[in-house]
Amino acid sequence: MAIGVRVVRAPEANTSYFRASLQGMALTFRHLVRPHKPVLQYPDVKPELAPRWRGTHRMAVHADGRPKCVACGLCPTICPSNCIRLVPGEDDQGNRYPVVYEIDEFRCIFCGMCQEVCPVEAIHVGQDYENAEFTRERFVYDLDRLMAQDHPVTALWDPEDPLGQ
Amino acid sequence: MSTKSVEFLVRRTPELGMDGRPVQVPVLPDGMVPELHGEHMLINIGPQHPATHGVLRLVLELDGETVVKCTPHIGYLHSSFEKLGEYRTWNQVIPLTDRMDYLAPLIYNCAYAMAVEKLMGIEVTERCKVVRVICMELDRIFSHLLWVGTTAIDIGAFTVFLYTFQERERIYDLHEAFTGARITTSSTRIGGMMADLPSGWIEALRDFVDTLPKTLDETEALLTRNNLWVGRNKDIGVISGADALDWGLTGPNLRASGVAYDIRRDRPYYDYDSYDFDVVTGEQGDCYDRYLVRMEEMRQSLRILDQAIRRLPGGPINVGDPRLILPGKTDLMSDMESMIHHFKVVMEGVKAPADESWFSVESSKGELGMYVVSDGGSKPVRWRVRGPSFINLSALPKMVEGHLLSDVIAINASIDIVLGEIDR
Repeated sequence: MAIGVRVVRAPEANTSYFRASLQGMALTFRHLVRPHKPVLQYPDVKPELAPRWRGTHRMAVHADGRPKCVACGLCPTICPSNCIRLVPGEDDQGNRYPVVYEIDEFRCIFCGMCQEVCPVEAIHVGQDYENAEFTRERFVYDLDRLMAQDHPVTALWDPEDPLGQ
Repeated sequence: MSTKSVEFLVRRTPELGMDGRPVQVPVLPDGMVPELHGEHMLINIGPQHPATHGVLRLVLELDGETVVKCTPHIGYLHSSFEKLGEYRTWNQVIPLTDRMDYLAPLIYNCAYAMAVEKLMGIEVTERCKVVRVICMELDRIFSHLLWVGTTAIDIGAFTVFLYTFQERERIYDLHEAFTGARITTSSTRIGGMMADLPSGWIEALRDFVDTLPKTLDETEALLTRNNLWVGRNKDIGVISGADALDWGLTGPNLRASGVAYDIRRDRPYYDYDSYDFDVVTGEQGDCYDRYLVRMEEMRQSLRILDQAIRRLPGGPINVGDPRLILPGKTDLMSDMESMIHHFKVVMEGVKAPADESWFSVESSKGELGMYVVSDGGSKPVRWRVRGPSFINLSALPKMVEGHLLSDVIAINASIDIVLGEIDR
């Protein structure tokens, strides 16, 4: 059988105070002279985010400044935390557009499902995490604010593996 | 109250002299002996205490410094995950699962997806199986590394924490590259994964698998033969194999008591029986054996990871059923049928037959069971989690009885609980 059973036994002898302390200090001293500096000086040095990092939302816009959103209603449906408020509208050419599109970033759990289901690649989660505000109201992002975001968006759909959607 | 004791109480009141100091030390009346074994003292650890690993409150009844009775109080982190799951579609439940055990989120993602797939009768692809095995073994190491670090802190060895957390940071990075989040991964979907492995991920994992043993060696050099560590852990919190089975312990806690029960071996899933690894057991069932078992389990997980990387097959990661899996964005925008499937999957949700299923996996803390009941709709009627931490914690009063107060910290740390999953 490939799966064996291994019994670990506590060492009967060779336990010590003095030698163990010396060995421990030798080990930590080796780390002292060969440091690999895991600490990041955060506000000055920003961490490099993975391409799939899921952060603050951003709405993609057309070249003429209209939002790409067609108010299909998939993202409020899939959202597990009910943080998207969408009121659809229709212009005189019959194009649907969002009259109200609000995302409550407090309720949001950043699962990325809104981007996953968006059929026109309009709403995105983005590579941004510095979204602190002074008031609670400021955390409800309206459409203008979502369109004004300029951070890079998440590459959930990796072009290198087309099946990875 | 007898006259004698009243007199005793009166005489205990010290008489004060001119300078306000007692002039007479009260003496006990004849025939009375000082009561050394007085009332038991109640002390309260937690709910906000660094050594309780979350918001656990322990009410300890002490006789001197010896624990007579221990009562864990839970519920401070209650989030009603199981009830919330009843109002969400099968796929929407997945973000709830990783928030239960935030120390090994991918195991919970995978276990839930497996239970629902069993309910729906879906066989995931070969690639998905191996990817999920990689995820689960990676998170077993993830959880055990945290356990070693925080337990060492509780007992008084600080350095181990720094070394193991640097290794955990590398697993965080792997999580981030694969799923886009460091803890709240939400990585599985019914019938597959959220996305395939990104390019370069397997190489990064290979690098991690090759270099982690160095940190494990350093940890063992600091702890295993250190008399301070041995003295704080050996013969502390002993639970025999028979008792452990009676209390329902699973995972490393049960195996440390000498019972070789591992779901990966006894009820194998995802071809675990074709991997080459050892079920690690201890002999004594004390805190020290739990430490040894977890250290060795990390090495065994590395063995499984090594084999899984080698056998990782190509091909799709998701099943090819358009009723379950969303089509790719290129198909979605060019093909009307894909668009219809896309909207149906999202608006109606994935449908499960009216049935129930139970699936249990070996999580880092023990047997993790997921029980889902469906009435044929797109939401679970009942979703129940058999959490290993909750049941392991129930054996804590048995383990700490008769030990000293300071050993409670060591024992509580050694059973490796996570309060997010206990309170659910």
